[in-house]
Amino acid sequence: MKVAQKLWPWQLLLAVILIVMAAGIYGSVKRIDYEWRWYRVPQYFLYKAEDPIKVPDDGTVEEVATAGGTAKITVNLVDGNRQVFEVDATTVRVDQGEELFIGDTVGYVTTWSLGPLLTGLVTTLWISAAASVLGLAIGLIAGLMKISRNYTVSMLAAIYVEIIRGTPLLVQIFIAYFFIGTVFNLDRNVAGIGALALFAGAYVAEIVRAGIQSIPKGQMEAARSLGMSLPQAMTEIILPQALKRILPPLSGQFISLIKDSSLVSVIAITDLTKSGREIITSTFATFEIWLVVAAMYLIVTSLLSQFVFYLERRLAISD
Amino acid sequence: MIRTENVVKIFTGRGAEVRAVDGVSTTVDKGEVVVVIGPSGSGKSTFIRCVNGLESFDSGHVYIDGVDIADRKTNINKIRAEVGMVFQQFNLFPHRTVLENLTLAQRKVRKRKKTAADEKARMLLRKVGIAEKESEYPSRLSGGQQQRVAIARALAMDPKVMLFDEPTSALDPEMVGEVLDVMKQLAREGMTMMVVTHEMGFAREVADRVLFMDMGKIVEEGTPEHFFTAPREERTQLFLKQVL
Repeated sequence: MKVAQKLWPWQLLLAVILIVMAAGIYGSVKRIDYEWRWYRVPQYFLYKAEDPIKVPDDGTVEEVATAGGTAKITVNLVDGNRQVFEVDATTVRVDQGEELFIGDTVGYVTTWSLGPLLTGLVTTLWISAAASVLGLAIGLIAGLMKISRNYTVSMLAAIYVEIIRGTPLLVQIFIAYFFIGTVFNLDRNVAGIGALALFAGAYVAEIVRAGIQSIPKGQMEAARSLGMSLPQAMTEIILPQALKRILPPLSGQFISLIKDSSLVSVIAITDLTKSGREIITSTFATFEIWLVVAAMYLIVTSLLSQFVFYLERRLAISD
Repeated sequence: MIRTENVVKIFTGRGAEVRAVDGVSTTVDKGEVVVVIGPSGSGKSTFIRCVNGLESFDSGHVYIDGVDIADRKTNINKIRAEVGMVFQQFNLFPHRTVLENLTLAQRKVRKRKKTAADEKARMLLRKVGIAEKESEYPSRLSGGQQQRVAIARALAMDPKVMLFDEPTSALDPEMVGEVLDVMKQLAREGMTMMVVTHEMGFAREVADRVLFMDMGKIVEEGTPEHFFTAPREERTQLFLKQVL
């Protein structure tokens, strides 16, 4: 008889190992005398930007009226027009009756702005999303081509997959931007997304091929025996079943794609990784920023895998 | 209704050539029930799959209603819509409910409206005795129920001929009867049927004609009375002695 194993000693062991590792890292960092400046990090997520408000022409200040946090400054311009500027009350730079010249600053407006970490994250997300959609389409087509009975069609797909899988993504991005991008005058975003999509497409093609081939032959035969054409049988019977099966490896591929998108920073696309590098050049907060960047990637990929897990459970109703 | 002329199917594997179907010529008339029996590996399943073109054959002709399916100009999808087929492994579509299994081809191939297709499907499910399972997925059904759904799915296309490829071979013994009952009812209603089976009782009771195949050839053919009481060929006698 199998004795039920107690879980808590193992949980304790896990906790001890993690704590020892964390303490080890902490101790090593202490030894090199690194000064942590975590307080510097938040401003790179969100920061207050002060925009100066300037007069468009020469004029005189007619009135400065403060109400709450904002001040209304009424200016009589030389062309006879009267203009009202709203600025933050604490930043008013002029007094009533003062003579102003064109371009003088009357005050500042502060607004919350996205810091480089968040704008970089947004860039990473949309580049990954665009490359995923494109890569899925390319992979679907290439996967179907690969199982085609026509020699030319299947060999074209096989050559594509071999070339892409046999060369490093970094080199592909360089080729896409510096060679193909130069010849066809492509924008760096187009080159970056294109390279990522072609890269992901090759792996998706293999996943799709395996998924289709995992569906029993009888399914295709049953569909064809009912008079369905090959495309009908594919779209109605084979692909829906295959897509359900390949959802886990497919999501793994797209999670990889999000991580691989960090490589487009080499062609000067300001994604999360490049933003991190830029911040470090101005703050020298190397440790903090890279840890934060890693955590941000981790959050995005975990959310994606949770979503796929939820999808899988929903699709399992016919099992 | 079905006429085959010298159908030959050759499998080549590891250098060896196997003539799975070796010059089979036969006919199935309208309303006739023809049962094909024979030892395993005799080519009877391969032959019945040649009849609706699921298996391509190397030479010969298969005429369905006078149309040659070996002719490259023939639209095979159109022919198949008129020829229902039931498989040993049921092959229901697992991602669709029972009702959708029956309506999908009606709507995609026959271009029927949803209401008409649903009505037809429900009528057939009642006929095969599983009307209450229409919104279940196939995995929730027993083997016998799945095979009855598969028969109903083929019937939903209003086929002129039904082909059965060992429809009871993958079933638990206690479920064989319910599937055979549906097939017997179909035969009584005058459906043209070609059945590959190991069920000798079914052959004896329902068949108008029995074909005995061995080594890819038709060894003997005749009425069930002739076949089960006074077989002519030595090979047939030997086979019947083993199975009866």
